[in-house]
Amino acid sequence: MINLIELESRWLKYKIKSYIPHLSIFISLIVILVLIVSFMNQYTKNDTNDIVKPAPNIETVVIIKKPEPKKSIVVTKVLDTPVTSTQIDKEERSVNRVTPSRKYAEKTLKLSPSLDFMKKMQNSVQPYYMNEHTNSNDILPVVKKEKPIKKVVKKEKKVELKPTTNTTHRINIQRQNTQHDIADIVKRFKTNNNPALSLFVAKKYYELGNYQQAYNYALITNKINKDIEVSWIIFSKSLVKLGEKNKAISILSKYIEQSHSSSAQILLDDIRTGKFQ
Amino acid sequence: MNNSIFINSKNVFLDIVNAKDYIQLDRVSTIYQSLKDSIKKPLKMILLYGKPGTGKSMFLNKLHTDLSSSINVYLYQTPILDESEFYKTLAQDIFHTKYAGELNFTQFMKIVENNKSDEIPVVLLDEAQLYSENLMEKIRLLSDTRTVKFVITLHKTEKEDLIAKEHFQTRIWESIELENASTGELKIYIQKKLMKANCFDTANMFTSKSVNKIHKITNGNYRDTNKLLYTLFDIYATYEQNQQLGKIKTDQISIKVVEMAALHSGLIND
Repeated sequence: MINLIELESRWLKYKIKSYIPHLSIFISLIVILVLIVSFMNQYTKNDTNDIVKPAPNIETVVIIKKPEPKKSIVVTKVLDTPVTSTQIDKEERSVNRVTPSRKYAEKTLKLSPSLDFMKKMQNSVQPYYMNEHTNSNDILPVVKKEKPIKKVVKKEKKVELKPTTNTTHRINIQRQNTQHDIADIVKRFKTNNNPALSLFVAKKYYELGNYQQAYNYALITNKINKDIEVSWIIFSKSLVKLGEKNKAISILSKYIEQSHSSSAQILLDDIRTGKFQ
Repeated sequence: MNNSIFINSKNVFLDIVNAKDYIQLDRVSTIYQSLKDSIKKPLKMILLYGKPGTGKSMFLNKLHTDLSSSINVYLYQTPILDESEFYKTLAQDIFHTKYAGELNFTQFMKIVENNKSDEIPVVLLDEAQLYSENLMEKIRLLSDTRTVKFVITLHKTEKEDLIAKEHFQTRIWESIELENASTGELKIYIQKKLMKANCFDTANMFTSKSVNKIHKITNGNYRDTNKLLYTLFDIYATYEQNQQLGKIKTDQISIKVVEMAALHSGLIND
């Protein structure tokens, strides 16, 4: 006589045992699937993060590229305090308040690099100065050239901030140095006859509207070194400002023939067309 | 007398070697016919081999039943391990010579010589792997005289050793292998066996699914199948006795009961 109860319980055990391999395979498959899905999710998240990140990065890259490295160094010297990122931010923010609107700034961000390129070359390229000077007297031109920085910063910063004392510092730097520094540089030029110094003085005088002195110092620079493009440009510009347009055209033409300078060519075209007066 | 269909079906699968229970399957019938033809040939020895439970004993039994009316055929299902006893049994059965005391091979050969006849007797030896090598050598010598023809059955593994021996390689002229049943053959085997015993209801309960399951458990081995089905119907009968038939399928063989039977008969382990 078969004991059915015992046999049924044995059968139940057997069935459970027989399902264990299937169950373990099923569970391991699920685990593998879950791992794959989670991995894929992570991967796609990383992808989207990578996609999202570049936008702000592009802006920051622009910020880094636009300001010339020297300028920041000069600023730190003038301020006599370590320039921290917060300070720069504050300056940027103070400038930000002057700008008309964010939308406008964004538009100019996209267009400004290509449009202003040639003119910038014409106005701001100073090979000699760039290589040799880290003097505090260089503050003025550097500060003035922060204009492109201002533009970029305006575009990036969206948070409104209180005006800080740093803005007044910067303004003071501009106002205090001009005349005094020119005199100082002239003194130094007389001692070492460095064409970079005379060029700097010429540029400063030109910026201040003293075209006669600008002409003189540009002429001195050209005599010392006739290959400084910027010096010839300042020289020609000063001539135009002094009403010697034809002379300026003939001198520029001769210089272009000799040097094939594109900046000089642009200036010549501008003088001829009356764009530059 | 119990009229339960399950008890009747259970008894069908009792492991008894009886020629009456022999089931004609196509492949087996072909083999059987070739064996019958081989006996008619002037062969010295015929070897029938296969795994245990493939129907070798049933084959010999059937052969004995079929041939006994036409020729002198002697079946020895249980091996006679003592040499003297073996000769004495053969002398008595084949040559009707009773011998008192020990009978050795030389004396037995004298008896064979004295009783030579045109009709060569056929001796069927089951489970030949149990005979000693010495006795097998004597059997070989005896078959060489062409006075007695032997049909021996042995398990496949032993056959391989046996065939390897040179003296058997030259003498076994016909060797027939019996194999386990395929799924289809197993279904026919089960149903024919049940129908032979008028168990039509239970015969119809076997579907392809249940037969596949049985085949998976038994590998088509006839002995294991008989054992499994005996237990299976025993379980059905017990459910019936306990009036619990509602718990299991009765329109077809329940896989659960097949597995329970396999567990109970030790064909699978829990």
